[in-house]
Amino acid sequence: MSLFISREEESKSGIREVLDACQCRSPQGVRLRNQRKIYRPNERQALQNELDAIAGLIPLVAKKDSQVTEAQSQLMRLRELQGTLSYLEKGKLLSDTNFFELKSAMLIFSKLNALEKLKQKAQIAFEDCTQAGEILEPSGSKSPGFHIYSDYSDLLKEIRAEKRELERKIAKAKVADRPNLMRQRSLLVSRENNEEDRIRQELGTALQAHLRMLKANAKACAVLDFRLAKAELAIKWNACQPTLVADNQPADLKEAVHPIIAQKLESQGSQFSPQSIRLEPGSTVISGANMAGKSVALQTIFINLLMTQMGYFPVCQVLSTPLFDFFTFDSSQSGELNKGLSSFGLESVKIRNHYRYSQGRRGLIIMDEPARGTNPAEARAIVQTLCEAYGLSASMFLIATHYQVHPAKGIRFYQIRGIRPEDLQQLPAWQAESVPAKAQKDGDYAKEDLERVRFIQNLMDYRLSEVSAHTDVPSGAIRVAELLGMDEELIRNMKTIWKKDKTINGKS
Amino acid sequence: MELAGLKNLQTLAIVGTSKNAGKTTCLNHIIAAWLDAGIARPLALTSIGRDGEDEDVVSGRAKPRIYVYAGTLLATAENAMRRADALLDVLALSGVRTAFGEIVICRAISDGYIELAGPSSASDLLQIAKLLREIAPDCLYIIDGALSRRSQAGGGITQNIILATSGETSAIPSELAEHLAHSLELLSLPELNREQKAMLNEAIEQSPNARVISLADQNGQTLIQKLMLPTLLGHSSEIAELISDNTQHLFLRGAITDEVINELLKDKHFRHLTLAVEDGTRLFINSRTLKRLKSRKINCAVLHPLQVNLICFNPSRSDGAPVDSTAMQAALRKVTDIPVLDLGTALV
Repeated sequence: MSLFISREEESKSGIREVLDACQCRSPQGVRLRNQRKIYRPNERQALQNELDAIAGLIPLVAKKDSQVTEAQSQLMRLRELQGTLSYLEKGKLLSDTNFFELKSAMLIFSKLNALEKLKQKAQIAFEDCTQAGEILEPSGSKSPGFHIYSDYSDLLKEIRAEKRELERKIAKAKVADRPNLMRQRSLLVSRENNEEDRIRQELGTALQAHLRMLKANAKACAVLDFRLAKAELAIKWNACQPTLVADNQPADLKEAVHPIIAQKLESQGSQFSPQSIRLEPGSTVISGANMAGKSVALQTIFINLLMTQMGYFPVCQVLSTPLFDFFTFDSSQSGELNKGLSSFGLESVKIRNHYRYSQGRRGLIIMDEPARGTNPAEARAIVQTLCEAYGLSASMFLIATHYQVHPAKGIRFYQIRGIRPEDLQQLPAWQAESVPAKAQKDGDYAKEDLERVRFIQNLMDYRLSEVSAHTDVPSGAIRVAELLGMDEELIRNMKTIWKKDKTINGKS
Repeated sequence: MELAGLKNLQTLAIVGTSKNAGKTTCLNHIIAAWLDAGIARPLALTSIGRDGEDEDVVSGRAKPRIYVYAGTLLATAENAMRRADALLDVLALSGVRTAFGEIVICRAISDGYIELAGPSSASDLLQIAKLLREIAPDCLYIIDGALSRRSQAGGGITQNIILATSGETSAIPSELAEHLAHSLELLSLPELNREQKAMLNEAIEQSPNARVISLADQNGQTLIQKLMLPTLLGHSSEIAELISDNTQHLFLRGAITDEVINELLKDKHFRHLTLAVEDGTRLFINSRTLKRLKSRKINCAVLHPLQVNLICFNPSRSDGAPVDSTAMQAALRKVTDIPVLDLGTALV
């Protein structure tokens, strides 16, 4: 399974934040989460099981069932066992802390194994570890600690009894007699050490027979932990169980939310506008005015479909989707000028690669304003060609663009509703005297300007709606410039040129 | 050995007046006395990491050995634990890692030798204390060693200390007494007043890496200046830049040696102020240096005050030279009211 996104786009996409928000409690769970597994189309059944298990856990997690809290507190205590298990596998001499680690882990396995309802809902099975547990608990005392118990061998018992006796003598002995007694004690200690090491070796060998069980249980803990964390996240984000549909079916997202962007907006006192869209195999073109949130719409669709295929519940009211062979997300905004290379050059490389990779595969290919830095006539040709080519493919090609794409087979059109023209008309133009007079420093905006931009933004209806192929690319940029107090003469000229161009284009 | 008011303490650190002051001997005696007194509260022992500058290098051991009795709790690094010959029941793994391995919490279930190699930061010491108290809420937590140079400002770990001193410092009673009086003066430095403490603590919180913080009066307002330095030594000119005639407090974080002070004394503005330090164990200055500070009207004060509860005198010298223990003790008692205990020869 492939995910083709640059580091920058990855950080913009919010994947890392989603992972961070999914709080596993055990090191095993964290490791499993960080593998970022994306299920392949041929792992549909495994993905379905994962989603079903999360759905099964959600009611228990939501009501903080005692089995859930018990499992969570056990998982929190679990330590990373990889080092110890690898020692065991290689037959190395384990230390008492290694044995303690295994003993504690087996105690946790047994406690989790007793949580029948939880196991059944989470679709997890643990293997019985009583037998292996007894190896580290020779007297059956069920003490939580570990040391090399005297019960392991008669010889050890004997040495220790002798040592104890000698220590009693030392405590009572005269100072002059002590050195000799201490020497005797040293000899006993060295015999004790040898016997202890022999026993450690023996214990290691005995435990080796249970290595498979130990690994399987550690794995089960990881899966349980990850599923519990995903269930918690689904509750927190009000996410839904997605429906996986056949490969040639469309992806349908209803009221999709980008959880990370939504959180940011909420912290600023705004609200995220959920998006609904239906993606058919072929091309889907999203157009919309500036500031209309095209990029956010793309990111929202991307993260929800990706989360689904990673076995998370997507943050939608309803979502159904086929499975993809690969995911890509490109935005030409990315500052890839870093290596001193042309951004369009690098963009071309990506476009080429994705196109080649899509031959014989079904991908979700998302591009945010491809060829934006190029001259408009050529850029339009590039965008049109890509839409037509992918229009005939099994992949889903989703782009946001300002360029007019002409209808062709396999191309569908969506628009962000934007600001209704009547709302824009009602808005009074910026009064000349209220335009901040002072020229602002680079990158700095006057407070009034920011407020005005925010005001216009608040009028925006960010929802997507499907439009016919012949709908004009939304306009409004000139009106926005006017509302923000652009000089009257400039606005007049802009409008004249815009009308002229529209007439020419309309004729062509 | 009488336990001289240690019974009711929660935590205790053992500090030496010099190297080979007999801290470990002192600890061994406390352990034995604790057993003799039949106190039910268990002891919980750890040590503070000392960057391997001590006996460790010579003996190749993590720390000198300590003889404990069954029931004692310890927090020691895995490698040190392996060298113990007391039977140790592993009770918890702390997650605190050191150069000698992870710190393991265990309980001795037989008498025997153990080695202590504990954590080196104040926050880790607190974490260890928490784990030990989960197992034995009423334990007396004893830290072998001063709060090290690497540990942060007291961290609220230990206020009570036992001061270990020995014939190693000097075999002449009056000299030893003088040395002890000086050590006690440093360890008993007064606490800064509440307002100054609050101001400094806030500045430290904002810039945990600041080594120098100066508080100066500026038209009735307090001007706070900070300096980030790798060490205090060798940066006197930068520190001096922070000092003016209006400076009221100069806070120095880390080990403050004679060299550091002598460098600062070259600056004429370094006078009429309070030299603030984390606690008395950070001052490694001799009595001459302290006198020079006083003659410049410089007082010393601490963020975290310490209380010396007991002085342990260890008459043995590593070269085996004879020491007049009675005369020594008499001399020591002349300079302090704090109980002085003669440890005699090592128990084991």
